[in-house]
Amino acid sequence: MTTPLLEIKNLHASVEDTEILKGLNLTVLPGEVHSIMGPNGSGKSTLSSVIAGHEAYEVTEGSILFNGIDLLELEADQRACAGVFLAFQYPIEIPGVSTKFFLKAAVNAIRKYRGQDELDAMDFLDLVEEKAKSVNLNTDLLDRNVNQGFSGGEKKRAEIFQMAMLNPMLGILDETDSGLDIDALKIVAEGVNKLRSPERGFVVITHYQRLLDYIVPDYVHVLMDGKIVKSGDKSLALVLEEKGYAAFEPSGCSCGC
Amino acid sequence: MSCTVDNSIFEKLHKNESWLYTNVSALSTITFQDNEDAHAEFVELYDISKNSPFVVFVNGIFQENASRLSGSITINTGSGEVAKRSDSQIPRGACDGVHITGTQQKTIHVLQIVAGEAPVACYGSVFIHANEGESISVAETNVGIGNCDHLLMPCTEVIAEKNSSVTIVRAIRGSKKAYHLSSLHVEQHESSKVQTHTLTLAGKRTRNEVYAYLDGKDCESNFDGMYMLGQDQLVDNHLRVEHNMPGGNSREFYKGILDKNAKSVFTGRIYVKEDAQQTDAKQTNQNILLTDDAEAFARPQLEIYADDVACTHGATTGEIDDEAMLYLQTRGIPADAAKTLLIYAFLNESLDELTDDEFRSNLVEELLSNLPGGEFIRELYL
Ligand SMILES: Nc1ncnc2c1ncn2[C@@H]1O[C@H](COP(=O)(O)OP(=O)(O)O)[C@@H](O)[C@H]1O
Ligand SMILES: [Mg+2]
Repeated sequence: MTTPLLEIKNLHASVEDTEILKGLNLTVLPGEVHSIMGPNGSGKSTLSSVIAGHEAYEVTEGSILFNGIDLLELEADQRACAGVFLAFQYPIEIPGVSTKFFLKAAVNAIRKYRGQDELDAMDFLDLVEEKAKSVNLNTDLLDRNVNQGFSGGEKKRAEIFQMAMLNPMLGILDETDSGLDIDALKIVAEGVNKLRSPERGFVVITHYQRLLDYIVPDYVHVLMDGKIVKSGDKSLALVLEEKGYAAFEPSGCSCGC
Repeated sequence: MSCTVDNSIFEKLHKNESWLYTNVSALSTITFQDNEDAHAEFVELYDISKNSPFVVFVNGIFQENASRLSGSITINTGSGEVAKRSDSQIPRGACDGVHITGTQQKTIHVLQIVAGEAPVACYGSVFIHANEGESISVAETNVGIGNCDHLLMPCTEVIAEKNSSVTIVRAIRGSKKAYHLSSLHVEQHESSKVQTHTLTLAGKRTRNEVYAYLDGKDCESNFDGMYMLGQDQLVDNHLRVEHNMPGGNSREFYKGILDKNAKSVFTGRIYVKEDAQQTDAKQTNQNILLTDDAEAFARPQLEIYADDVACTHGATTGEIDDEAMLYLQTRGIPADAAKTLLIYAFLNESLDELTDDEFRSNLVEELLSNLPGGEFIRELYL
């Protein structure tokens, strides 16, 4: 049996003593794309923050294994080096830090961890050119400070560009589609699709079904109030689109079951 | 000869409201020695821009051999007229000084070094007179060398006539034991532009006073400062900006990083006279504290007698931004390197403003050698 890329069992997590995740289970095998959909406030970003290693979120119960290793034992940077990548819902701006230097530090930290040689300036710039092209990102942006002066769409594309640069095993996309027009959405989806491979897995968090027309998931999960309440294949997204989340409220089921 | 200093004044200085947080009473018990050595080896270290004019003073004495003067630079003693307008309590006395006037193609580097096995005290005097339409840039480096309680008291005076432009950088470097009590006195006339950058990278007690008199209309004044301090270091940036005529625009922007038990004091008094309508004055002090023992005091003091003015002040004191740390870490950068990167980014924003490339990169080097993990930044950027 293949080792799951990501195996989350009975995850409970709190922020400032309020429980947000209330017993979440999720297993992603290599090569799979899972989509998590859920209303605002259901805990989608909390889940991605917990996986990435945000210290403000306290895991009170349960476990997260990544390729069989205990992810919760690792610091955020070690998780990244091990192959977890989070595309943030709201990528932050970092004044004074040039995007290019930041990325070079990131790429080389990860290569070092994986026992690869660090890239010299030339090879690094070649890689930048190649990957920037794959998400149609103007490389002039990379001379700016991290995410500073980027438009909303540029920020999202820059996240996917970073993912391509860092070559993770598991990519978590937290509402990368929100705020994108249809053309930008297609570019982002194409960037992600290029990275799909039999070894790699993705968790695509989204609020809307339309992204899933372009990144076609193997599984769709509905997250409500900190728990996955329903799982299915991609047709579940269409049901959601049609009937809304109310249909999945634990009480007041309207689907006639 | 070195300068003679009556150090009894330091005994009670901190009883004075404006010196409240900056106790330099230890200076009153130090016996300062004469030291006439040329200390050429140290001068060489700080000869940063070999193609620029260079004016060197060691222990208060002008060093003709080490200096490179150009046309309108003369050596003399300070004039004192602008300085007399202020209520600065840093003592003044006779000493060698430099007088600079006329448009200069290059930045003039002025080096004040104090060195010796026993404590040495000196004044220093730079007088800059930019006539109508002239443009002058001066980079001052004040250095204490060695492990004893040297005292530097450099005084810079600027007269910026109509439409002139003056840029001054003052970098405090070298020993972390020396006392630096500096003052900068600026008199501005119509539509003149003055920028100063005060960079404190060394010293045990450093007081940087700036007194600015915007005597003509439509003056533009930018006073910036940056500091990075650690164990037992204190910096006190003390400014008084007087808007005496309409249309003046002044900015004070001071930021720094405090590690261990370092302290920063920022006092910014903005005075706007009745006639100084349409004044726009902005003041900002940002501190990042790396430990619980570090402390920052910010004291904005606005005294406004005109009604059509925009004055704002803001002070922030905080830690390294958690969200920025997380973002960098989720990209694989270890926590200590991420922290170094953020500190460097914060400070480098000030250094980026410096127009003299050689001077800037020399300061970046010093910054990196003082910064834990600075090697990582050097590899990344250079
Ligand atoms: N740092 C935080 N501090 C306080 N409450 C938080 C924090 N992060 C999330 N929450 C709360 O947790 C709940 C889930 O938020 P989030 O995970 O962002 O939901 P989603 O991404 O699904 O919209 C919300 O009620 C939100 O207010
Ligand atoms: Mg969210």
